[in-house]
Amino acid sequence: MAQQPVDLKSVWLGLKAEVDELAAERRHYLDFFESASEAYVVTDLAGIIGEANGAAVDLLQRRKRELRGASLAVAVTLDHRPEFRRWLASLAGDALHVLRTVALAGGERIELELAARLIGTPPGAGGISWRLRAAP
Amino acid sequence: MTPQKSPQFLSTTVAAVRELMVKRLDSVPPGGESRREMEMALEELDAMWEELQGQAALLVRENRRYAEFFEYSPDAYLITDAGGNIREVNQAALELLRSPRDELVGRPLSERVAAEDRAQFLARAVNPMLGAGGEPASWRARLAAAQGAALDCELSVRAIPLKKSGVGGLCWLVRRG
Repeated sequence: MAQQPVDLKSVWLGLKAEVDELAAERRHYLDFFESASEAYVVTDLAGIIGEANGAAVDLLQRRKRELRGASLAVAVTLDHRPEFRRWLASLAGDALHVLRTVALAGGERIELELAARLIGTPPGAGGISWRLRAAP
Repeated sequence: MTPQKSPQFLSTTVAAVRELMVKRLDSVPPGGESRREMEMALEELDAMWEELQGQAALLVRENRRYAEFFEYSPDAYLITDAGGNIREVNQAALELLRSPRDELVGRPLSERVAAEDRAQFLARAVNPMLGAGGEPASWRARLAAAQGAALDCELSVRAIPLKKSGVGGLCWLVRRG
């Protein structure tokens, strides 16, 4: 009976250590994604945006909350959307795929290089990771 | 700790705490104030557990999503600790360096840098470790891939908290060219 408070304490200390580790892991990956100098977006296989980092927000000149849940296709100009959609549907395997297209950012047409890699095993199980870059 | 393990650990921990409380409750005579207080504490524990479980699951899902992004990023990334040893390396970096993960993780990243570029490489690593802010500057260096092949690369580096400890580490972006 006298041992019980000690056991309880050690159990909770163990729990706290695990939670702290989980929180550190979150800071690590969140910092990696959010503070990257490159514009990154994560979508599902249909191109619906789940996450967009700060650089992507700056590049596309849209608010983060507008991007989440929107299709990446809406960033592409109307005349280039069919090509983008065909390319998106053709993505397969674990290679890096690149498409040069035209996007609308803050009302301006910009040349955009899209680089996409399917996430997970099998490829695509976790969606698609994208790098967006204004093409020179 | 892997994200997948955490909810299981939380579940085990709370179950252990609950079991201890139930044991103590059994030793308290029925009808008394102490027993009612313990029963209420158990109720509260159950409610907190449900909430904690929901939050932990959310956190784990989020961690997994970001971790997957790191692993399958379109760009090659390596994470090193303060000593310059590689802690994490993603798929694109493995492909770039044409090396299996276990040949890289735990080894100094500087080993992969050509001898003539090593001094600059080490000098560039100092600023972000000292907390100097600003955009990560990029520079060119030659990296060694498998079978002695030398790759012309563009490197940039920034500070990042390490995964488990949260202490300062470095995040290296490597590109061919």
